[in-house]
Amino acid sequence: MKVITAVERYTELKTKAQEKVNSLQDKPLVRIGTATCGLAAGALQVKETFEEEIKNKGLDVRIQEVGCMGHCYAEPLAIISKPGFPSFCYGKVDEGLAKLLVDSFLENDDPCYEYAMVALEPNDIFPTFTDFPRDAYEKKIILEHCGFIDPGDIEHYIAHEGYAALAKALEEMKPEEIISEMTASGLRGRGGAGFPVGKKWSLCKDTPDEVKYIICNADEGDPGAFMDRNVLESNPHQVIEGMLISAYTVGAEKGYIYIRNEYPLAIQRIETALEQAREIGLLGDSIFGSPFNFDLEIFEGSGAFVCGEESALVSSMEGKMGIPQARPPYMAVSGFRGRPTVLNNVKTFAYVPTIIRKGADYFKSVGTSDSSGTAVFTLVGKVANTGLVEVPMGTTLRQLIFDIGEGIPAEKEFKAVQIGGPSGGCLPETKLDIPIDFDSLAEAGAIMGSGGLVVLDEDDCMVAIARYFLEFTQQESCGKCTFCRLGTKHMLDILTRITQGKGEMADLEILQELAEDIKMGSLCNLGKTAPNPILTTLRYFRDEYEAHILEGRCPACMCKDLILYYIVPEKCSKLCNVCVGSCPVEAIYTREDGLKAIDQEKCVKCDNCLKTCPPEHDAVIKLSPPVLPED
Amino acid sequence: MGKKITLTIDDRQVTAFEGEKLLWVALENDIYIPHLCAIKEEERPSASCRLCFVEVEGFSHPVTACTQEVYAGMIVKTRSPRVDRLVKSAFELLLSDHRLECAKCPKNRSCELQKIAKERKLKLRLTRLKPLEKEYAIDESMGSFVFDPSRCVLCGRCVYVDHQEVEVGAIGFTHRGLQRKVTTFGGGLLADSPCTGCGRCVEVCPVGALFFTDKAG
Amino acid sequence: MTLLEGEREVILKHVKEILDDRGTSRENLIPVLQQVQDKLGYLPDLAMQKIAAGLDIPTVDVYGIATFYNQFRMNPPGDHQFKVCMGTACYMVGGNIAIESFERRLEIREGETTPDRKFSLERVACVGCCTMAPVVLVDEEVEGHVTPTRVDGILLAFETETEKEEGKNGEGIEEKEERRSDA
Repeated sequence: MKVITAVERYTELKTKAQEKVNSLQDKPLVRIGTATCGLAAGALQVKETFEEEIKNKGLDVRIQEVGCMGHCYAEPLAIISKPGFPSFCYGKVDEGLAKLLVDSFLENDDPCYEYAMVALEPNDIFPTFTDFPRDAYEKKIILEHCGFIDPGDIEHYIAHEGYAALAKALEEMKPEEIISEMTASGLRGRGGAGFPVGKKWSLCKDTPDEVKYIICNADEGDPGAFMDRNVLESNPHQVIEGMLISAYTVGAEKGYIYIRNEYPLAIQRIETALEQAREIGLLGDSIFGSPFNFDLEIFEGSGAFVCGEESALVSSMEGKMGIPQARPPYMAVSGFRGRPTVLNNVKTFAYVPTIIRKGADYFKSVGTSDSSGTAVFTLVGKVANTGLVEVPMGTTLRQLIFDIGEGIPAEKEFKAVQIGGPSGGCLPETKLDIPIDFDSLAEAGAIMGSGGLVVLDEDDCMVAIARYFLEFTQQESCGKCTFCRLGTKHMLDILTRITQGKGEMADLEILQELAEDIKMGSLCNLGKTAPNPILTTLRYFRDEYEAHILEGRCPACMCKDLILYYIVPEKCSKLCNVCVGSCPVEAIYTREDGLKAIDQEKCVKCDNCLKTCPPEHDAVIKLSPPVLPED
Repeated sequence: MGKKITLTIDDRQVTAFEGEKLLWVALENDIYIPHLCAIKEEERPSASCRLCFVEVEGFSHPVTACTQEVYAGMIVKTRSPRVDRLVKSAFELLLSDHRLECAKCPKNRSCELQKIAKERKLKLRLTRLKPLEKEYAIDESMGSFVFDPSRCVLCGRCVYVDHQEVEVGAIGFTHRGLQRKVTTFGGGLLADSPCTGCGRCVEVCPVGALFFTDKAG
Repeated sequence: MTLLEGEREVILKHVKEILDDRGTSRENLIPVLQQVQDKLGYLPDLAMQKIAAGLDIPTVDVYGIATFYNQFRMNPPGDHQFKVCMGTACYMVGGNIAIESFERRLEIREGETTPDRKFSLERVACVGCCTMAPVVLVDEEVEGHVTPTRVDGILLAFETETEKEEGKNGEGIEEKEERRSDA
C-alpha cells in the first residue's frame, strides 16, 4: 500500500484551500480590519453599514473581517476588491464613506480615488504600498499576511503557504536538523532579552524526560506595546504552527498559550484557530499521519505584569502567585510542573514557519550579523503615522521615526524616544542614528524589549516620564525581593518630590546610587531593568532634573505643581465664551473689561480651557515656574 | 548528597558536599554571611532578602550565597566593595520599612537586624532614605503572643513553618508589591483563623514582629 | 461584608458547579477564581472558603492569590465600569486628566464604586489601543480621545438612559445617538 506522506497530505489541503480562496475573487469582496485597533475606531459600525447598504441595493458582494495591517492611524480600514480593478484600500472609513463606496464603486464603477489610500496590486492607475516612502524601509515577515487574510478561517492561512513548514519539518527534517537550522538562522527571542532560540530548544531537547511542554508567552504587558495582540488577532495560525514545530523538535506533546485576559478578541480568535486546526488534524494525534501528537490549550493570565517573567508565568500556571524564582534551574531543564519547557514569545514562534520554509540563510540575509531578521515595533506617541511596523534589524531609529513614522506632528520638536517600555530607556536626538539591534540599544542604555516605541516631543517632561515608568514598575513589582519592593518605592518617592518642586540636588546622587544597586541586586529582570528609565534620563536629560530642582520650573510645562494656566489678555476675545463653559470647576470668570481670566485658587489644571480655546485666539497658555506675569 | 569537595571561603579551606548551598556551608564553618529569608530545608530558596551576596571567583557579579551551590575548587570572598555596597543598600531599604524603636522592642539584643548591623558595622538608622511609614494594626488576639506587622521584614520563616512544618495554614503572604504582607484569610485576627497557637512561627521570627507576651511565661 | 438574602445560595451553587466542572487540582485555582468572578462579579469570602475546601488548600492561600492579581476584586463592581487606560501613550496625552475628570464627576476615587453601586472607576494597564490615546473602556466598549468634555458626554449618555428607563420620556435620545455615532 502506498504511504501518503505529510507533504502530500499538505498539498491536498493547500489545493483545496487555494481553490476556495480563488473562488472568492469571482465577485466583489469588502475586507474590513476588525482587530482591536479597528474595532476601537468603529469598524463594526462600518461593517454594519456596508452590510445594510449592500442588502438594500441587492448587490452580490462578500464581506469579510480581517486583522490589522499596521496602519492604525488610518483605522477603520476597508479593502475593496472588484473584478476588473486592482484592490483599493480606504482609510478612516466612516458610515458616510461606506455608503458612498457602495454607491459609487460597488454599484457603479467609480473607485472614488479621492478617498483611496493605496492599491494592493501593481497597476498603472494608482500608487501601491511600494510607492510609500516607508516601503523602502519595511520588510514584512511576520506581518506579511496580517490585515489581508481572514484570521477566522484556517484555509486562508493554508492558501498562503501556511502549515507548509510543519509538513516539511515532519517529513524531511530530524529534530537535530531543525535545531541547527534555528541556530544558523540566528533567531533571538523577541520577548526582550534576546536569548538564542536554537540554544534554548537544544537544551530542552537534550534534557531527558518523558513529558515536556511548549509555552507561548502572550502576556504582553508593556504599556504602549500591542504587537503580540495584533499578530494573534490577525494571523494566529503562524504562531500555532511555530509552536507545533518547536514541540516536534524538543519532543513535547502539550502546549499552552498564556495570554492576558485583557485581550478578549485575541483569545477568541485563538480559540477559533485551535478548533479549526483540530478539525483538520493539525492538532491532536498523529499530525499529518506522522507519529507526532500535540495539542494546545489557552491559559488566561489574571493581570500581573510580572507574569511576563518566565518563572513567574509558570508559577501562575501552577495556581500560585506570579513570583519569580532564582535561576538556575532554567526553564528548558525544569519549567512547568518541573518538566523541561520551551517558553518563547508570540513573535519568536511566528518567525519559525518562515525560517523552516525559506531556510536559515534567507532569515540571516535580513538584519545584522548579530541580530538577524526583523524587528516589530508599535510606533506610538508624538508621531504622525502611528501603528505597527516591521523593519530589518539595523534600521536606524531616525529612519523609523522620521521616514516610516513621518516625524512629529503639529510642527513640534522631537525630544526623545522611549524604547522597551518600563524596562527600557529614553534616548535623545543624538542617539537617533544608532541601528536597532539587541546590542546597540543595550549599549545606549535602552533595551530592545518587546517592541514598544514611544516618541516624545517638547511637551513631554522627562522627569515625569521617568516617574511614570517607575510608578508602573513599582505597582507591578511582585514584592518578593527587597530591592524591587522597597527600592522602586524610594526612587518613585524621590521622583515625585522632584516633579512637585520639592527635590534637592542630593536626591540625584541618591537616585543614581539606588538605581545602580537595584539593577545589580534584584532577583529578576523586572527589578534589574526597572531603573533604566531613570538611568537614561539622568544621563541624557539631567538639565531637566536640575530645572525642576533649582528653578522650580518644568521645561515641558507638564508637571502640574510647577505650572499655572493663564489667559493672555492681548489674545483673548470679548466675543468668545468657550473657555468659561468648558471649565469643570467654574474657575474662569469674565473680567470687568469683558476679557476672561482664571481664578488660580479654583483651577484644577485639567487643560480643558487650553484645548477648547479657538485656534484663532489661542489665548490660554501654561507658565512654569507658576508665577503670574505682572500687569 | 554529592561527593565531598573542598572550597575556599575568605582564604580558608573548608569541606562540604557537592550541591550544598554556599550559605549553609559558610555558616557551619563559622563564617558569617548576613541572611534573613534563607530556610535550609527549602529546596528552592526564596532568595528574597538580598543580604547574602558574596563574590565567587570567575563570576562577573556578586551572587546570593543561599542559591549558589558549592563545587570543588570554588573560591569565595564574603566581602568586597561591591558586596558591601549591595548589603548596605539592601539593609537600609529593609530598615526604611521597619519600625526602628529598638529600646521598646521585645527582641532588643536578640534581633537578627542588630546582629547584621554589628557584624557588618552598619548603622541602625536611615542615612539616605526616608522612612516609609505605613499603617499597621497590631494583632494581640492570641493572648500568648503578639503580631506586630510594622516590624515584619517579610522573610517568610513564619509562613514556612505554618504551612510546611505544623501544616496549619493560618497565615500566608498576601497582596502584591509594596503591599505584600503576612496576613490571615481576609486580613482578620489570628484568633479568628485556623491558628492553633502552637507558637512555632514566633520562635522562628528573626525580628520583633512576632513575640511572646509575658503571660506565656 | 454581609450577604444579601439569597446571595449565599447563589454563591454556593455557582462555586459547586465550577469546581465540579474544573476538578480539584491546585493548578485549577486561577481558572476557578476567574470563572467564579465571571459569574458573581467579585469574589465573596464565602466563595473563596469553598474553593479552598474544594481544592484542599489553606483559605489564606486562596486569599493570597486573589489579592495578588489585578483581575480579582473582593467587592461587587458597579453596574457600569469605567476603566481608564494608563499605558504610556495614554498617560502622555492626558490619561490622568481623564481619571481626574471621572473622579470629580462621580465623586469617587479610582478603585472605588459610587454609593448607589451604579459606576465604578479603575485604572488599567495598557489596553493596546495606543493610537487612540487617551482611551477609556466604558464597560467593554473602547472610547478614544477622551477629554474632560468627552467624560461629561459619556456620563450624560448614561444619565439620559436612566431617565429614559425610569420616566419613559423620550428626551435625550438624540444625544445618545450622537454619542454612538461619534464614538
